Amino acid sequence: MLLHLAWRNLWRQKMRTVLTLLSMALASMILVFMLSFQFGVYDTMKGNALKLMDGFAQFQPEGYADDPGIEKVITHPDKLEQAALKLDGVTAAAPRATGFVILANGDRSYGAAVVGVDPAKETEVSSLSGTVRDGRYLRPDDTDSVVIGATLARNLKIKLGDKLTLIGSGRDGSVAADSLTVVGLFDTGMADIDRQIAEMLLKRFNDTFAMQGAVNTIALIGPTLSATDAALPGLQKIAADNGATVRNWGQLQPALKQGITLDFSTGILFYVSLVVVVIFIILNTLLMSVLERTREFGMLLAVGMKPGQAGGMVWIELVLLALIGNALGILIGGGLAFYFQQTGIVFSGMEGLLGQFGLSDKLYPTLSMLSATAGPLAVVISVTLAGIIPFRHILKLNPIDAVGAN
Amino acid sequence: MMRLSNARRAGANKTILMAALAVVALVSGASSAMAADAKALMRAAFDNWRAKSSETTVTMVIHRPDWERKSTMVGWTEGDDLSLARFTAPAKDKGNATLIKKNQAWVYNPKLNQVVKIPSSTMAQAWMGSDFSYDDLSKTTDLLTRYTYKILGTGSAGGHTVYTIKAMPKPGAPVVWGKQEVKIRDDGVFLEQKFFDQDMKLARTMSVDEVGSIGGRIYPLVITMHPADKKGQWTRITTTKARFDISLPGYTFTTSNLQNPRN
Repeated sequence: MLLHLAWRNLWRQKMRTVLTLLSMALASMILVFMLSFQFGVYDTMKGNALKLMDGFAQFQPEGYADDPGIEKVITHPDKLEQAALKLDGVTAAAPRATGFVILANGDRSYGAAVVGVDPAKETEVSSLSGTVRDGRYLRPDDTDSVVIGATLARNLKIKLGDKLTLIGSGRDGSVAADSLTVVGLFDTGMADIDRQIAEMLLKRFNDTFAMQGAVNTIALIGPTLSATDAALPGLQKIAADNGATVRNWGQLQPALKQGITLDFSTGILFYVSLVVVVIFIILNTLLMSVLERTREFGMLLAVGMKPGQAGGMVWIELVLLALIGNALGILIGGGLAFYFQQTGIVFSGMEGLLGQFGLSDKLYPTLSMLSATAGPLAVVISVTLAGIIPFRHILKLNPIDAVGAN
Repeated sequence: MMRLSNARRAGANKTILMAALAVVALVSGASSAMAADAKALMRAAFDNWRAKSSETTVTMVIHRPDWERKSTMVGWTEGDDLSLARFTAPAKDKGNATLIKKNQAWVYNPKLNQVVKIPSSTMAQAWMGSDFSYDDLSKTTDLLTRYTYKILGTGSAGGHTVYTIKAMPKPGAPVVWGKQEVKIRDDGVFLEQKFFDQDMKLARTMSVDEVGSIGGRIYPLVITMHPADKKGQWTRITTTKARFDISLPGYTFTTSNLQNPRN
């Protein structure tokens, strides 16, 4: 009955209702689209940064993250790899051994990290091979090949085909020394990686650094980051069974995680102000209409409607407005997000800035249940709560005064 | 009367003032004498440790929670700035050598038959997988030139007086430590050196486990370096043979001698 009345009341003032609906739809559309866009950019940032080397998760020896040392090892990498690959959220695993060494070319020398990788597995996990600018990436049948960062190569004044000397310490503390041939230079755009990373074959690394089949880390990747995150409990169990630990993406890239948290916090501030403004606009419209309809309410009360019922009717009007407006907003905002999710949005002229964050100039929103509903839901709930104001106003009405009002 | 007593009092005050000044002078004189002592002790300890020149045979044990590794090497030093160390065992490390000249270092690897200069950015890294860094080998005399000293206290051990000296870096000195604490015996033998980081937290301790007679002098025979934050990890250096104040050929501390030993 009340619902019916409320519905009819809404359409007695078509213009006002449509305008209110539009403002609400617009706000919730912005919320849906912006949130999807923000999540999309985060996904891209995380994906790009993690796919480059770290992977979506990693097996590491106990204490390796705080103080990485070549003597901290995973002795049977095969066991962990195989167990991890049985999980749904893991599609590839790449074992790695890392030594801190001095790289030398003639009388030029620099400190660097040399990473022993299995090219077949590595290319499934890491996108670094795709950033090789000169020459080529490592191949499984290589022997003494090494690929190094472009900046490192420039510092060492070394070219493709040159011999690169490395000296460091092996797993057993012995001197590890080797001479390798540079076959490729990579340019990831990440200054730290381009300046201090070299990759060689794991099997050669194993001999040079006396690893005895052990590795330092195993990088894991899955179909999506969230799928791998979902597999973390399973990975934890595998790690615990083998005396290792699991690091999730936030632990691998703490700076990125903090950056995203910070950005999201400022984003939230924007969304909250948007919601507050929308609520005030709607509340204002509604309060105006309630004041305008004082005589009508007086009449209703006079013919025997209880004040609570009259107030409830207005409240229902408000909720109906909110629901319809936000449904429209979700439809339009979600539609836009979905459309651009396929085509991408080009930010021309921003390549430099975006490049710093490992992004291309084409960005894609990611529409999800969360991004589609979080904003509109906040609006609906806030509007519903704010409805207490007109409700209380009507409760205070005296029928005789109200009927006489003009 | 009043005037007289005032004058007398003034005279008395003057006497007290003089006495006080004398005490201050005495105390400050004493403290500067002690500072000089600290410096002399430090110099004596360094002279005892490095001599004018030396040739020593040492064994080095690197201990880790999972393994232990023992190697031997022969080392030469001259003055404060020159050192050369050449591994003689185990077979795997034999022939590897390190040359230090002032604050630069070169290593030679026989497998590659190549000399590599250690970049200055990696001088703080572990030397030959031990708990000593290249800096430890090259910057030993930093303690002598870049710090100011204060004697914190004295104790006794084995019939000797032991001085504990606090060494603070001079303002702007290019050193990595925030503070060092050194224990030196009255006969100029190092007993302990503690390294504190910039937050004044203990970073590592180098202790002398055995003092004995070698090469005609009283010498710290067994030295152990313990990193403070790494349990079950240390490096011990034992001197088994030593000759001091010998004359070394001029080519000893050159990269060509590093690569093609003539001694």
